[in-house]
Amino acid sequence: MSRRTALDVSHLPTTVFGSRAPLWWGAVGIMTIEGTMFAIMAACYFYLRGGAEVWPPPDVVHPGLGITTLNLAILLVSMVPMHLVSKAAVREDLPAARRWLIVATLLMVASLALRWFILQRLTFLWNSHAYGSVVWTTAGLHTLHVITGTIENLLFITLLTRGPVEDKHMTDLRLNSLYWYFVALSWVPFYCIFFLDPGLLR
Amino acid sequence: MSVAEIEPLEDADAEDRQILERTWKHGTGLWGWLTEVHHAAIGKRIIVTALIFFALGGIEALLIRIQLARPENRLLGPDLYNEVFTTHGTTMMFLFAVPMMLGLGLYLVPLMVGTRDVAFPRLNAFSYWLYLIGGLLLYTGFFLNTGPDAGWFSYVPLAGPEYSPGKRVDVWAQMITFTEISSLAMAINLIVTIFKQRAPGMSLNRIPIFVWAMLVTSFMVVFAMPAVMLSSTMLALDRLVDTHFFNQGQGGDPLMWQHLFWFFGHPEVYIIFLPATGIVSTLLPPFARREVFGYLALVLSLVATGFMGFGLWVHHMFATGLPQLGASFFTAASIMIAIPSGTQMFCWIATLWGGRLRFQTPLLYVLGFIFTFLIGGLTGVMLAAVPLDLQVHDTFFVVAHFHYVLIGGAVFPLLGGLFYWFPKMTGRMLSETWGKVSFWLVFLGFNLTFFPLHVLGFQGMPRRVYTYLPETGWGDLNLLATIGSGVLTLGVLAYVINMLSSLVAGPPAGNDPWASDTLEWSTTSPPPPYNFQHLPTVGGRSPLWLWRDDQPVVTGLRSDRREMLATNLLDAEPDHRDILPGPTIWPLILGLGVGTTFIVGIFTPWGLPIGAVPCAIALIAWFWPRGDMDREVLKEKTLKEKKS
Repeated sequence: MSRRTALDVSHLPTTVFGSRAPLWWGAVGIMTIEGTMFAIMAACYFYLRGGAEVWPPPDVVHPGLGITTLNLAILLVSMVPMHLVSKAAVREDLPAARRWLIVATLLMVASLALRWFILQRLTFLWNSHAYGSVVWTTAGLHTLHVITGTIENLLFITLLTRGPVEDKHMTDLRLNSLYWYFVALSWVPFYCIFFLDPGLLR
Repeated sequence: MSVAEIEPLEDADAEDRQILERTWKHGTGLWGWLTEVHHAAIGKRIIVTALIFFALGGIEALLIRIQLARPENRLLGPDLYNEVFTTHGTTMMFLFAVPMMLGLGLYLVPLMVGTRDVAFPRLNAFSYWLYLIGGLLLYTGFFLNTGPDAGWFSYVPLAGPEYSPGKRVDVWAQMITFTEISSLAMAINLIVTIFKQRAPGMSLNRIPIFVWAMLVTSFMVVFAMPAVMLSSTMLALDRLVDTHFFNQGQGGDPLMWQHLFWFFGHPEVYIIFLPATGIVSTLLPPFARREVFGYLALVLSLVATGFMGFGLWVHHMFATGLPQLGASFFTAASIMIAIPSGTQMFCWIATLWGGRLRFQTPLLYVLGFIFTFLIGGLTGVMLAAVPLDLQVHDTFFVVAHFHYVLIGGAVFPLLGGLFYWFPKMTGRMLSETWGKVSFWLVFLGFNLTFFPLHVLGFQGMPRRVYTYLPETGWGDLNLLATIGSGVLTLGVLAYVINMLSSLVAGPPAGNDPWASDTLEWSTTSPPPPYNFQHLPTVGGRSPLWLWRDDQPVVTGLRSDRREMLATNLLDAEPDHRDILPGPTIWPLILGLGVGTTFIVGIFTPWGLPIGAVPCAIALIAWFWPRGDMDREVLKEKTLKEKKS
């Protein structure tokens, strides 16, 4: 084969954002997998509920609408500083990115503390009945995500403080925010079915 | 994109090759082996590992056949028999078929789309380690008399804490979670590589059909595997910390297990089968010496099968007393999937019809596939009908059906495909004579083994019984099947010996021994660690057959770091250059960390916190920049500086 003509790509950039970046697709892939897992957990909840005569079981007392709503609100509000981190990353504005990361992380820690408090107030355990199993497992799965997100943020704060920060980390920062939106938003349906559900507010 | 004329500079080319060689060279020694991340090395490793598990699963199959050869045989007791058939099924589905297909994809896809490595090389290495640890876990359990014994789909309540005390089912459940994480990681790697790294000019309508098949398969993995990961986790939790997901007495539901398992389990069949159809569509052109007939129809059939595959799972549950409407819906859906399968079948026949056939071993396996898969497909249509399904449920008829589909439909194309790609992977040709001998032994042995099982099923022989009485009259057909399995084994042995001897003494293959049409044949055999010195561009569906003398090649990628060209999703226009990571130990450490989590998790709920520590350390070390990629380092700048 001849090598007479060439398609020169040397002028192309090495850092891009959004769906142009392979890593974006990787992150979307992970969110799809985990979104499927959350959807299946919700399906299991309704499947078990469909077969139950009394749902939730009589020993279940609502942990309090106020505290559960506050917890969700903190998660949702934490998306704002994460969005600002993402915008700072596009500008390569490292101090701003670090600042908003710290704010978001504090909110995440607050939501974890509140989550702990809510779990303490539940009147049942995972081994009490199937309802307990599905609620605890889902909450555990989601809490694991929140913990992971918090650790990731701490890692980024360390990196932005100590360096060396490479151009590619700006893409990483944006994807970290994107992933956090997913973690925060995926609690909304479970908040609704666990804590808003008319069966619990009876 | 501008296309410039360049002079062929032999000296500069040679120098460039040396630099590429240095940048991409495979590791040597033990450390090099443990830290390797390149797709060709990892892909080959997955294939070899899967073949070893195939051999182990095959030995278990032989044990099953020998045990059933005559009535009241006492070779294996009932307990060991349960372990053997469960380990056989689990091995073949989770440790052989799926990793084999994905591994073949991970080896071939980057070569077929014309790139240097997969999108996430370290993730690729991680998936291999996880798969290996999962497989070792299963067999460690098996040899310690803790092999799973509740069938490869571990139905509750049999697999629940009450009826399966001990740790056997826990080994199964944790092994599933392992291998599924690994498959998911492989699938993501394949999807992103196919989406973002195709050679310039390889728009969606020019993607090789094997690559399309791997893409659809990977999407099926993404949506199907979470179901089995969650259900196996729930089973483990039910057994370990007394949750009640499947415990009827406390509001759980055993039937939920079947729904979750088959929501994964049915797509699983297509996860194994679709790559095989991709192999068939790839093998036909070189051996029929024409382009494949009906490219669009073939691709749409793959996609349609991918969607429909998720709407059939309940046909595994017809015997559970479902509402009639539900049963009818799933019957209709199950029969409907014959449409895309049939479309593919007709396209293959049309390709053969219009071709000038070369009857070499790969084509023989394709023809063997068409014959056996037709039988398996037809018994599948029969089983989709509820009345017939209820009659033969849990009999050897079902065993015969799915072996026709899985061996005929997947292993035959795989053996043909391995024969076809062996020269590319090793640089040496296999012996055609021994290839033909092995094909005929495998083909005859297979049909001799499994055809009689249809009849035994109709006669009422249930599956998963360790023996039967002489009065049943099942002895003769069982003996025939066992003889068949011996012939089949001889065929596989002939294939393996052919491989091993050719590895040492086979004639050199050259770049393109079959006069094929896809990009992997444009580079040397075996390919250099950077795959292509200049990434190719593509001018049509059969790039090698359409190669023009002025077909441009890609230049301008740096050779002194692992650069690859990212192209856009639809038209594969050059978009940017990305830098891939080199060898690293952290994927292995992370694999060991995840392994610790799950293996300790068999015994105590503290597995998660204990395993989390090494996992976190490995992930952080993996992520932390090593500054070896020569990337631009950003300095802190305030907005004011930036403006000025």
